[in-house]
Order: sequence, then structure tokens, then C-alpha cells
Amino acid sequence: MRGTRRLLDALAILLAVGTVFPIYWMVLAAVKPAGEIQSLQQRPWTLAPSWDSFHRVLAVDSFGRYFLNSLLVALVVVVLSGLCAFLGAVALTRFRFRMRTTVLVLFLIAQMVPIEALTIPLFFLVRDLGTQVPGVGLNTLGSLMLVHTAFTLPFAIWMLRGFVAAIPEELDEAAQLDGAGRFTVLWRILFPLVAPGLAATSVFSFITAWNDFLFARTFIISATDRQTLPMALLVFFKPDENDWGAIMAASTLMTVPVLIFFLLVRRRLVAGLGGAVKD
Amino acid sequence: MTTALPAVRTRPRRRVRTPLWLLLPAAVVLGTLFVYPMWQLGLLSVLDFRQAQVSGGQPTRFVGLANYTQLLGDAQFWSVLGATVFFAAACVLATLAVGAALAVLLTRISKVPRLLLSLAAMAAWAVPAVSGSTVWMFLFDTDLGLVNQTLGVTGLNWMYDRYTAFALVGAVVVWHSFPFVMITLYAGIEAIPRSVLEAAAIDGASAWRTFWRIMVPVLRPLLAIVVIQSIIWDFKVFTQIYVMTRGGGIAGQNLTLNVWAYQQAFAAGEYGLGAAIGVVMMVILLVVTLLYLRTLRRSGEPL
Amino acid sequence: MRLRLAVAAALALTVTACAPSTSSPTTAPSDGGARTGTLKVWLFDEPNRAPKDAVVKEAVAEFTAAHPDTNVDVAYLAVDTRSARFKGAFNDPASAPDVVEYGNTDLPEYAAAGGLADLGPAVTAWPEGADLSADARASATFQGTLLGVPWYLGVRALYYRTDVFTELGLRPPTSQAELTAAARTIRAQKPELFGIAVGGKYTFGALPFIWDAGGDITSINSAQSRAGLKAYTDLLKPDNCPPQQCADLTGGKTVELFASGKAGMAIIGNFNRAAVDAGAAKGKYAVVPLPGSKPGSIAPAFAGGNNLGIMRNSQRPALAADFLTLLASKKYQTKMYAAMGNLPTLQAARAEVAGQDPFLKPFLSTIDAGTKFVPLDPGWGKIDAQAVLPTMIEKVVTGKATVEAATDEAATAINAALGK
Repeated sequence: MRGTRRLLDALAILLAVGTVFPIYWMVLAAVKPAGEIQSLQQRPWTLAPSWDSFHRVLAVDSFGRYFLNSLLVALVVVVLSGLCAFLGAVALTRFRFRMRTTVLVLFLIAQMVPIEALTIPLFFLVRDLGTQVPGVGLNTLGSLMLVHTAFTLPFAIWMLRGFVAAIPEELDEAAQLDGAGRFTVLWRILFPLVAPGLAATSVFSFITAWNDFLFARTFIISATDRQTLPMALLVFFKPDENDWGAIMAASTLMTVPVLIFFLLVRRRLVAGLGGAVKD
Repeated sequence: MTTALPAVRTRPRRRVRTPLWLLLPAAVVLGTLFVYPMWQLGLLSVLDFRQAQVSGGQPTRFVGLANYTQLLGDAQFWSVLGATVFFAAACVLATLAVGAALAVLLTRISKVPRLLLSLAAMAAWAVPAVSGSTVWMFLFDTDLGLVNQTLGVTGLNWMYDRYTAFALVGAVVVWHSFPFVMITLYAGIEAIPRSVLEAAAIDGASAWRTFWRIMVPVLRPLLAIVVIQSIIWDFKVFTQIYVMTRGGGIAGQNLTLNVWAYQQAFAAGEYGLGAAIGVVMMVILLVVTLLYLRTLRRSGEPL
Repeated sequence: MRLRLAVAAALALTVTACAPSTSSPTTAPSDGGARTGTLKVWLFDEPNRAPKDAVVKEAVAEFTAAHPDTNVDVAYLAVDTRSARFKGAFNDPASAPDVVEYGNTDLPEYAAAGGLADLGPAVTAWPEGADLSADARASATFQGTLLGVPWYLGVRALYYRTDVFTELGLRPPTSQAELTAAARTIRAQKPELFGIAVGGKYTFGALPFIWDAGGDITSINSAQSRAGLKAYTDLLKPDNCPPQQCADLTGGKTVELFASGKAGMAIIGNFNRAAVDAGAAKGKYAVVPLPGSKPGSIAPAFAGGNNLGIMRNSQRPALAADFLTLLASKKYQTKMYAAMGNLPTLQAARAEVAGQDPFLKPFLSTIDAGTKFVPLDPGWGKIDAQAVLPTMIEKVVTGKATVEAATDEAATAINAALGK
């Protein structure tokens, strides 16, 4: 029994190493000097780490700018989608109304819609919207914020339901008896209690917006200063020789914020996923 | 799993007017950016809508099902459709198998390895699709890749053969998506009362038996969500294919419906045809998931 | 029946009425637009872009010095995905850049999409404009409207490694048979080298073979075209350039292979000179025209070249014209020649560089021997964007289809795109 466990422990560690290895390789290649990257004898370590690749990425190609763009889009999406989802989740768990099941099923179906297929109509919609409302047309960060808010919403509502449902209704009933208005119940009682769940939900919204490649590629047509990270990364795939050092440095920069975010909300994420499915 | 929150679920008793004001923000957002575009997608798919119409000032024409008949008569469509379904199915199965196996493994190991493995999985999950694709490309690069150098083969191009190319992209997809399955299922298994599992262990049930006889039935609703999410995600893989095979691979051998639709619309200027491909994709996805949901319902599981 | 028709017609009408709005091209601001602000410029990304970048930066500095309160935002587009970017810019007037570099093959498509502005008045007002030859003007004119200023000409010829040829006792090939033989000898004697670097995605490397055999794009499944395609794809074999490595090479990658000393020969352009000089092959190569199958003949080259144009939707057409004419001026054409090897289009500039540089001789002989072009039809853009020809080549190379099947399939796609 103990022997088996040891064996399984070893296996798990091996698998863990294998799983993080690509990430290690990415960071390593980012700090390798150019000569070692071009080498036909790749070594899994480097004795002469250099910041050259990061310098190329940050100084020459204004990656910092793209980084901020991506961050801005992702944060706005997190806030907007979190807000709408919170309200929606309360409606769906605290009230029993006609069509409630229908609405629920609709949210589930919405998650199945391949948003990639919607690129075509959305392109024209956003273009036409841009002529009416400044700041959300093509070539703006606003357009990305809008579409990702919409795409993250169904899953966010679905996941938040579990968190809202987990708060005993006696709490808001008591508050209402004490004379608190609907609004107060919502913001003073429910919101703080759901906040941890909201944090977990926001991870999903964040990565959807942060990882987006398709819409950034389609919507940001000519505004070089409004590009986001995934598109900017492809610049280093050259028509002649790929600049692997820069690609890996840029990939590293792109990965770090998500990694931090993930590790911060790790525990809640697990609980949240449980909540989302426990109904 | 309804047992988890029984008090709440059985008592939403305030039967009131629809809480419109709470649903309004979500409805507005989804209405404009989800429902309306879906309608437009359907509309575009029955129009003659090409570059000449979009920017060349030519009139838009209603062409009925012409885009669909063109599509169904195109040998490439069937080849791409087959590849998409096959690729997605393989990814879903692999993701579920790896995720479930590791979730079970997590329950049977000591604390430190467990922490390490779940942290590693979290990290893989966090890596953005573009970065993940690029680093795997680098690992499998023909000349500079660690894999070829370690294997000691020269000139092996992993993207040359259709199936190895798909396998490599699939590996990246699985690497990105197994942590979700693993962590969700692990959370579910942890919620199963210890006594049940211990009883099974005392009865001398093997891990395999315990998994199928005890965990699977209890975890059914959880598995349903995991399966559906996997289908949804893997059927729609875009970034990995687009980046790793540079837009569809040698002679378009690695095209999937998604990438193909995108190229027809935005590169070739066939917006109507691209929309028709999008509709086909949406219908397939809806049918698959609804069928799955129905079988679940039949077997008596609540949604 | 009549009722049903009426319903169908009404339905069709409503349906089309709800479609996304189509934007017919807007008219440019008649006063030439703002004279200050940011000018957006799209240029092509190329192998070894640094020298091009440097010349463009110099032009930008000169331009901004002469035009106060302006700045120029230059973006380099990946050539193989340019189509989607340009379409996006045509579709959304607000996002259009001002000055663009585009391939002369793209002209009909962009013209049909209503994307480019009429440059007639701007070129007439430009003193150096008169120095453009009638041929050059014609190459940038579509249906009577001048939609670009030819920026440079590019033809491809055969670069070969003099050191390798000397060592193996080879002579520069004067026929296709000699070319093939030399390529195989190099590969056999020096297995670390490709004999001649060729690629499955290198359309303009393959076309000379097809044209030399008497074929053409519009008759891609004729016996002649097939013979030419076979001659080209036969080079993508393990005895020269193994499919594993070469099937998905683009023209740019073959440049890189030759420049870094991994190929004995390559079919590359005058405009790739800087890229080759930046690599290990520097000083160890010479150029001859690409031979045809008849001994002593020259295979017809593709008359490539890039134009500079102004987008129809540009908000600053006057400022854009100022920048365009600066970049297309003799001064900068000469500089671009020195930097990249781009053959000037202004006669004065061409005379100046051709007279003093023997490097150009094989390219000029190739032009004199007669060049060919892709179909002058908006449909070419679609053929290109759908990668019809690369797919055809790759299918043959990877053994997914026979020459016959691949060419038949390509012919269907080409005819559909050209509306035949």
C-alpha cells in the first residue's frame, strides 16, 4: 500500500514536471542569448542569461503599450460582465417567475454558440455601431470590450448562480424585515457575500478577453497603437527567420499576469466550478 | 449533487413579477451582441454578399440557399467537416481521459505531490492559447526544436503529415484544457463522503471499479458540464490551428470549419459563404449538445 | 403560384433590406483634408527588412521636418495575410490607412473593391511624375484610372553559390536540364545543402516553369501547364529539396535558406539582394537568368513590382500624396535600390543605377527576354487569398494528388474566381 502510494507520488511529480516543462522552456528561451537559441544543440539551461529578447520586445516594439491595452480591455470586461452577471444571477436564483427555466436554458444555449462564427456579422455590426457611437467602432479597444462582455456573460451568470444560491435566503429576508430596500439588500448584503465567487468568475472573463486573438485580429484594422498582445506577438514570426527569442519573451510577458491571477484565486476557482455545476 | 444545497433549491418561493430590472443589463448586452448577430449570420448566409457588395457599391441580392448548395457540393467542405468533427472528438476524449485520470490520481497521493500537480495544471491552464501554441511550435521546430534534437532526427517536419500535425495541435489543446476537467472532477470527488470511498476500499474494489461504480454515478451532473464545455471549446478551436499550422497547414490539410469560414469571409471576401459555414457549425454544435442533454435528462438527471 | 412568387419577392426584399449596410466608397475631402495629424502608412514586411526600415525612417524624418505637426505611423504587413487587412480597411472607411504599398497583382481586386484613390491629379502635379514611363503608368492603371505609383520593379533570377560551383566543378546552368542536374549534384555531394531551394508556397518560383513550358494560369490544366508544374515539383524531391522541409516554404523562406548558406541555388529577386548580403552567402554568389528548357533560353519571369497608393477613404489625401511622392521620388528610389536592390521605376533613377551596377545585368536580360503576368482580373485576388496555386503545388509535392488531379482542381477554382 505504502509502496503504491510512493509510486503514484513519483508519477504525479513526473507529470507535474512534464506539464510545466513547456512553460519552463518558454521562460528559458526568453532569457537565452541569441546564439543559444539558434543552436542545433539546445540545452535545458543557460549559463549566460540575457535580457536582450525582452529589450527587443519592450523597447523596440512597444510591447508595453500592447500590454496595457490588453490589460485595459480585460479589466473592463471583468467589471462589466461581472456586474451584469451578478444582477442576472440574483434574478435567476432569488425570484421564481414565469419563463425562468426558459431564460436559464437560453443562457446555456448561448454558451454553445460558436462565437467565432459570429465574427462576420459582428464585424459589420461593430462597424455600423461605430458610426453612431464614438469609441466602440472598429479599430477601437471599445469594440473588443463590448464583444467580450457579451461572450463571457452567459458562463459568468451560470457560474455565479451557484454562489448566490449558497447564501441563505433568511439573510436577505431578515434585512428586508429590518426595513432595508431592495437596493440595499442587493449591494450591502448579497454583493459582499458573493464577492469571492465573483472573483472566481472573473478569472474566466479575464482569460477570455486576454487570450482573444480572433477579434483583435479582425477588429483592429489599422490602429497600431491599439493592438493587443496576441496580435502583436505574431509580428515576430518573420518572413525569413522567426525571432524565437522575442516570441518567447513576448509569450512570457503575456502569460505572467494570468498566472498570477490564477494562483491568487485558485481556491475560489475550485469552489466556483463546484458551485457552477452543483446547481 | 442537488443534495449539496437542498435548502435553497427547494424554496425559491417568491413568485413575483419578472425581475426585469435585474435581467435588463444582461438582456441588452446579449440581445445586441448575441441574438442580433445570430440573426444577421443567418441572413448573410442567404445573401450574395461579397467584397463587391461590401465596399464596391454593388447591390446585395437574395440568393436563397445558393451558398449552402455551393457548400454542400464542395468536396473540400466535406473534408474539412470530417476533419473538424474527428479532431474535436479526439480532443474531447483525450481531455476527459487525461483530466479524469489525473483527478483520480490526485485523490490517491500525498499532499506535496498533489499540490505540485495541481499548481502545474493551473499554470498550463493559465497560459494563453497564443503563447502555448508558440512554445510548442518552438519545441517541435524542425531544426531548433528540442524534440527533434533529443530524438536525434534531422529534418523531421511535424507539420508535414496531416495526422501528426493534427496530433500536435491536439496535444496543445489537451494541455490547455485538461486542467479544467481535472480540477472540476477532483473538487467533485472530494465532496463525495469519505465513508463511501472507504467502504469501497475495504470491500477491496480496485481503483478502476471504484471510479466507474461509485464516482461516475455521483459525479454525473458534473461530468455533464465538463463534457459539454469540452465539446464547446474543442469544436471551436481557432487560435491553435491558426497559429500553429499557419492558417490551415500544407495544402489546407489542417483546416477546420472555423478557420475555413474565417478565411472564406475575411481573406477571400466571400462573406455570404463564410456565414453559411458558420451556420452549419452552429447547428452541429447545438444538435450535439442538445442530444447529450437529452440523454442526460432521460437517465433522470436534472439539468 | 402568383401569390407565392409575390411572397417570395417581398421576403427577398425585406431580407436584403435588413442586411448589413454596404458602404459605397466615400468621396475624398475635396479640399485635400487636414494637413496635420497622423498619417498611417502600410508597407510590406520582407525578409531582412532592416535596410528598408532605415530608408523609410529617413523619408519620414524628412517629411515631418517639412510638414509641421504631422507624424507618420508606419506599419509592416505580413504579405501572406495582407488580404484580410486590406479588406478590413476597405470595409470600414474610418479605419483606412492613408498610404499603402501593394503588389501590382492586387491592383484589379483593390480597384474593384473601390479601395484606392485616383492618383491622376496628384501625379500630374508631381514634377517627377513625368519621368514614369508609359509602361510603368499602364501597370498601375485599371480601367483608365491611375490607382498607384509604381515604386519598384522586381524580377526573379537564379542566384547561385560561386564557391560551391567551383568546388564541385559545375558551370552556371543554361538550361532546365542543367539546372536540375546541378541541383542534384550539389545535394549528392553536399548533403547539408539543398541543391536549389524551392517551396510549395512559392507561386512566383513555380510560374516561370509553367510559362516556359507554354502553359498559363488561365489554362492550368493544359498539357503544357502540367509539364511545367511537373518540372517544378520534380525539384521538390529528396534528391534536391525534400518535401518534409520544402513543401511549405514560401518565397521568403527560400531567400533565407540561400542567404544563410543552406542552398546551392535559389530563384529570388533583385529586391532580395540586401537579405542575401546580410547572410553567410555574402560575397559568395552570382546571378544568372533562370534558364528555360531550351538550351540558352531564359524562362519567362513574373513581372513583379509594388505600387504605392492612397486609400480612397483616406482623410488626408493631400498630405498622403505629399508623402507618397516623396517616397517614390528619385532620391528615395535610389536609396531603396541601394538598401534592398529594388529596381527603380523612374527612368532617371533606373538609368543611374543600371549604368553603374553589373549586379542588375541578369535581371535586365530577364526583362528583355519577356516577362509574364497574372490575370488582370479582380478574381486574381481571390485565387491568391484562397491559395489555389500553392495548394495545387503542395498537393502534388506531398503526393496527395497527381499532377492531373491537382491541376484540374485548381482550374475549377480559378475559373470560378475569374467568373468563367
